[in-house]
Amino acid sequence: MRILRFVARRLLQLIPVLLGVIVLTFLLVRVLPGDPVRTILGQNATEADAAAARARFGLDQPLWRQFLDYLTGLVTGDFGTSIQSGAPVGAEMALRVGPTLELVVIAVTIALVVATVLGVWSARRAERPADHGIRVLALVGNSVPEFWLGLVLVLVGYSVLGWFPAPNGRVDPDTGLTPLTGADLVDAVLTGNGPAIASAAAYLVLPVLTLVIGVVAPLLRSVRASALEVLHSEPYAAAAAHGLPRRTLLYGYLMRATLVRLPSLAALVFGTAIGSTVLVEYVFSWQGFGQWALRGLLYRDYPVVQASVLVIALCYVLVFLIADVVHAILDPRVRI
Amino acid sequence: MADLRTSGPTEATDPPGPVAGARDSRFARVLIITGAAILAVIAVAALCAPLLSSWGETEIDPAATLTAPGGGHLLGTDGNGMDIWSRVLYAARLDLGIAVAAVALAVTVGTLLGLVAGYRGGWLDDVLMRVVDIFQAFPTFILALAVAALLGNGTVNLIITIAAVNAPAYARLVRAEVRTLRELPFVDAAVTSGASTTGILWRHLLPNSLTPVRVIAPLNCGWAMLTLAGLSFLGLGVSIPAAEWGAMISLGAADVVGGRWWTSVPPGLALLVCVLGFSLLGEGLQERADAKRR
Repeated sequence: MRILRFVARRLLQLIPVLLGVIVLTFLLVRVLPGDPVRTILGQNATEADAAAARARFGLDQPLWRQFLDYLTGLVTGDFGTSIQSGAPVGAEMALRVGPTLELVVIAVTIALVVATVLGVWSARRAERPADHGIRVLALVGNSVPEFWLGLVLVLVGYSVLGWFPAPNGRVDPDTGLTPLTGADLVDAVLTGNGPAIASAAAYLVLPVLTLVIGVVAPLLRSVRASALEVLHSEPYAAAAAHGLPRRTLLYGYLMRATLVRLPSLAALVFGTAIGSTVLVEYVFSWQGFGQWALRGLLYRDYPVVQASVLVIALCYVLVFLIADVVHAILDPRVRI
Repeated sequence: MADLRTSGPTEATDPPGPVAGARDSRFARVLIITGAAILAVIAVAALCAPLLSSWGETEIDPAATLTAPGGGHLLGTDGNGMDIWSRVLYAARLDLGIAVAAVALAVTVGTLLGLVAGYRGGWLDDVLMRVVDIFQAFPTFILALAVAALLGNGTVNLIITIAAVNAPAYARLVRAEVRTLRELPFVDAAVTSGASTTGILWRHLLPNSLTPVRVIAPLNCGWAMLTLAGLSFLGLGVSIPAAEWGAMISLGAADVVGGRWWTSVPPGLALLVCVLGFSLLGEGLQERADAKRR
């Protein structure tokens, strides 16, 4: 009950933030230089052509009118029409979210597992060479530019070794995969398309690896820090002094107390991963949400920019909310 | 390495702690020295770029396009016939310059806002924190991307973009510090002895609230550099043909599929080492700060 009330309160607090995001993006895209109509019409268009196009997208209306139309559309789930493609933004976005989520979810999951194992291992050897080694490695991981790492992986995995497909999409078109969710591996499994499963998995390896290396370092540091805190805590010292078996100490005390922090960390890393996917998708021609949003931004496609910014902000704050709730459920000490 | 053994005095000023703490600070010292050394070498290389290379920043060798390392070009040339080694050196100027300038601007603006908001409280504080909330509702790179796309290319715009994305975090940090410090007796003492508000802010609260900022700023420089390179990689950073590591990687990205590594690997490596320098420095400072607190 308390959790429900907490969720309701947090959702209410989200409203002003999201309204702020909506107003700010709406104004900023329009105030700052760049004209979406010119980008679709090209150099030779006359002033009359431009005016006609503006009228078609409602850009000739006064600003308050445009904003009101946008808001009423949002309430009914209508994100408007893309100026670049003329297609409904909501439908376009639906196609793009699946591939990106697939990438981010797989990468964050792997990174969480790796970071937990290595972080706890490192903390138990604190201030010994193994621990220092892992910490320096984590610092290197923290300093790697992801897009460059992706290129290096392509160089090694594709150009030199030839083990993985070229960075030109998500699945081999010859496998005749029917798209359902847009997440190709999921679609391949759902349709029972064997060759497509193999192809989608092969295409996933390098981008996922790039993202994992990019996000594992900050996670590892946090896991190590919280594991160290547990190791230095009085309850742990008492348990160890009472001669509890190593397994009980490790799984019952150390792992459990460390894992409680994981949801909040996952939320934080999820945000970083969303930022990184824009670059990683670009390197691997992934054609996901990041690339779509980037193109919208570059061509000043107002409805696309508004929709993608809003969706990213919404995802980000919701993930944090979910993390807080899971944390509260896992850890009875948390008062919310 | 001699530094590590002859460091008695600093050790003595540290509060006595457990053995692990002492070893901790030695590791911290190694991190700080290594990081600072890396950055010093890169800064010197950037300043002496004309002496260390035989080609200019954007000088084209028409006889050599996309040639492999060796011969007249130490690290080969790119598709335009520009020397990779020279450009990697020159690029350090823009990368270091923009990153450090952006963080300096972010620290200045963020600290001032946090200082005033934390000390005054009230509506000003409320408004400022709501704005910070909105900024922090986005992954930082996405925010940088959006601001950069809207502001457009150019060195000054990039500095503003990266500073704008980072300033809110400093504002929040300093505000939290100030709110804690404000309650301490020494502030009351300053007030009763007739110090002006500006005097209290400037002489008492500012220096004390900067402690966490000092640790975070170097880490932030590394992050700023990665952001800058990422933006340039997507075509939103410095304008071609200026030498900048991210832009160079972007130019060489298409060559990788054909196995031509030398256009994109060296600039990326330089970027990695430079960011690592900041990371080592920041981690060392962090560790030292933690050890002091314990």
